Amino acid sequence: MIDSIHIHNVVIPFLYLITFVVYVYDFVKDKPMLNNAKRVFLFITLILHTFYLLSRTIEFDHPPITNKFEIFTVLAFALSFSYFILELLTDVRGTGLFIIAFSIVLQIASSLFIEDLVEVKTILRSNLLGIHVISAMLGYSGITISAVYGILFLMLYKRMKSNEFGLIFKRLPNLESLEKLSFIAAIIGYVLLTISILIGGMWLPNAFPDFSYFDPKLISTFIVWVVYTIGIITKLTGNLYGKRIIVFNLSGFALAIVSLILTTFITNTFHSFY
Amino acid sequence: MNIIGITINHKTAPIELREALHLSQNEITQIIPLLKDKLFSEGFVLSTCNRTEIFGFPKSHGVNFKNVQDLLKDFKPIEGINSNNFLNYFSCGAVKHIFKVASGIDSLVIGDSQILAQVKEAFQISEDMNFTSSLMRRISDSTIKVGRRAISETLIGEGAVTVSFAAIKVIEKVFASFEKRSALVIGAGETGELAAIHLKDLGIGKLTITNRTFSKAENLAEKLNADAIKFENFKDHLQHFDIIISATSSGEPIIYYDDIKAMMKKRKGALACLMDIAIPRDFDTKVKNIDGAFYYDIDSLKVIVDENMKLREKEIPNVEKIIMEEMVNLFGWYNTLEVVPTIKDFRDFFEHIRSDEMEKIKHKVSDDEFEKIDNMTRRMIGRILHNPTINLRKISETGTNFEEVAANTLILKELFGLTNNGKEQRENNDKN
Repeated sequence: MIDSIHIHNVVIPFLYLITFVVYVYDFVKDKPMLNNAKRVFLFITLILHTFYLLSRTIEFDHPPITNKFEIFTVLAFALSFSYFILELLTDVRGTGLFIIAFSIVLQIASSLFIEDLVEVKTILRSNLLGIHVISAMLGYSGITISAVYGILFLMLYKRMKSNEFGLIFKRLPNLESLEKLSFIAAIIGYVLLTISILIGGMWLPNAFPDFSYFDPKLISTFIVWVVYTIGIITKLTGNLYGKRIIVFNLSGFALAIVSLILTTFITNTFHSFY
Repeated sequence: MNIIGITINHKTAPIELREALHLSQNEITQIIPLLKDKLFSEGFVLSTCNRTEIFGFPKSHGVNFKNVQDLLKDFKPIEGINSNNFLNYFSCGAVKHIFKVASGIDSLVIGDSQILAQVKEAFQISEDMNFTSSLMRRISDSTIKVGRRAISETLIGEGAVTVSFAAIKVIEKVFASFEKRSALVIGAGETGELAAIHLKDLGIGKLTITNRTFSKAENLAEKLNADAIKFENFKDHLQHFDIIISATSSGEPIIYYDDIKAMMKKRKGALACLMDIAIPRDFDTKVKNIDGAFYYDIDSLKVIVDENMKLREKEIPNVEKIIMEEMVNLFGWYNTLEVVPTIKDFRDFFEHIRSDEMEKIKHKVSDDEFEKIDNMTRRMIGRILHNPTINLRKISETGTNFEEVAANTLILKELFGLTNNGKEQRENNDKN
């Protein structure tokens, strides 16, 4: 099985790259023939990626979340998988390249540096940790996709305001759909992040003797969660629409990324396993 | 193929002449019997606001372009029209022109979406009036195929090329559907009415009309099953509309920056489309700077139209490629019409000689020997005729070189005396 894992490790970035090229080609040329073909490419890539992640879990006896580069491949998968589901649900097919691009970068970094770790800390073998991390990854994928749609919304918005009717105007879905896609992705991300926070809240105090509710990572995550809660409630109650809600969403995403970077690389936290 | 035809269109005549010469469906049904009687065995007549075309297969060698022009001018006498206003086509050129028309590349607006339906209708009228037979039917099928292929295989019909369609495209880029949207049309004149009808056709959720003369707004609203509001207080309701189209004849703006600013504030960021299709403009142009409001006037919509026109022009070579392919197919088929009977006569000629000679030896040899000789001569004739038959068929099926086909067929007929019906000729040979 180890040989199969190594082969997949090399093949998967190329599959993402090929899928990305097909999506880009279709975006530029708008060939009806590629409309379904690109979806098939993405589906095959995701199937093989699923097989790869399962193989790693079985072969190394732990979910692939024990180091940064394992996390990267899970994130790459989570982003493209979330996009695939969103594409199936909404049938908006013209935006895949903007999401798959993230998967390519993450998967290339993962494939280059990932190691076959067999021995991992006991704490990283916990099933609750697995659910906590995977739901957090999917949650971050959701808000990332939401942010990507937010950026696409602003790109189209700006071009339409300045009477530029080029490729972006022709190929992107309408502003209302982009706003809707951004909102659906944010809701999915928010729900998964909430699950992750709840599981973390139950499991972390027992797993770590130095656990503290005032840990910088916990506080920053909570702030991000509160921002998204406010945004979603405001949108649902009909108090904010269009560009305003998109800007609010992007601010929340920026806050999430900044806090993630600061708490991971700068501050001291018990919430660091790698 | 001896099809001939004439056209008068936007390239040859001013709009006044084209309009004057336009034939209604009723007039087409009147002119077809005249054409049948005097000039053509089969044909068709196409007449739109931009072109009138008459094509057909002459009943006799004497029929020429001038006869067709004269018949049209006699049918619909118009002052100022002369032969320079017509373009004449013959054979290959005629078919190519018909294909170009159906594909939309000969239209005033390149890639015109209406023309194919109009061409289909023209052929249908001919069919209904027994003005077609197999040849014209085949041209009709090929023409419609060209039109369909141009639409499905190229981008010739893509993009908005009229201001009103461009406005719709912009609105569609803002909202996912029209069903859940509400629209206000300001002005119940001709332009406003057209805009309102267009919105209704697109399935707008709620349509409201306002006009300085309220009764006009009410009349239009009633006609379109819409609402009417008084012009004096329409600004109080602006926030309820996702789409506002203004088409009044007011000499100065009627909607100001502060009106839209207040409207957008009440909409809490919800997007709105403001289409100013009035000349002079009805909106204060500063409204385009307001967040969430997409303001477009005729000039900005023309940007879309011009870009799309350029894209369509780039597609013309691709459409011409399709036209060429279908011409090859059509003329390939047409050439076989001439070649197949010739091949048959040619083979019959040899078969007749063979069977004649076989008849002469029938009683001089045994039955077994006769059968062997019969089989051998059949094979021999088959092998002798194989290459000429295949080559002649091949030349005809390429479609483009029908002159070569005609020449080869003629040589064959003359060399073997097949000219006046093979059977008759053979009988003469027998007598000699």
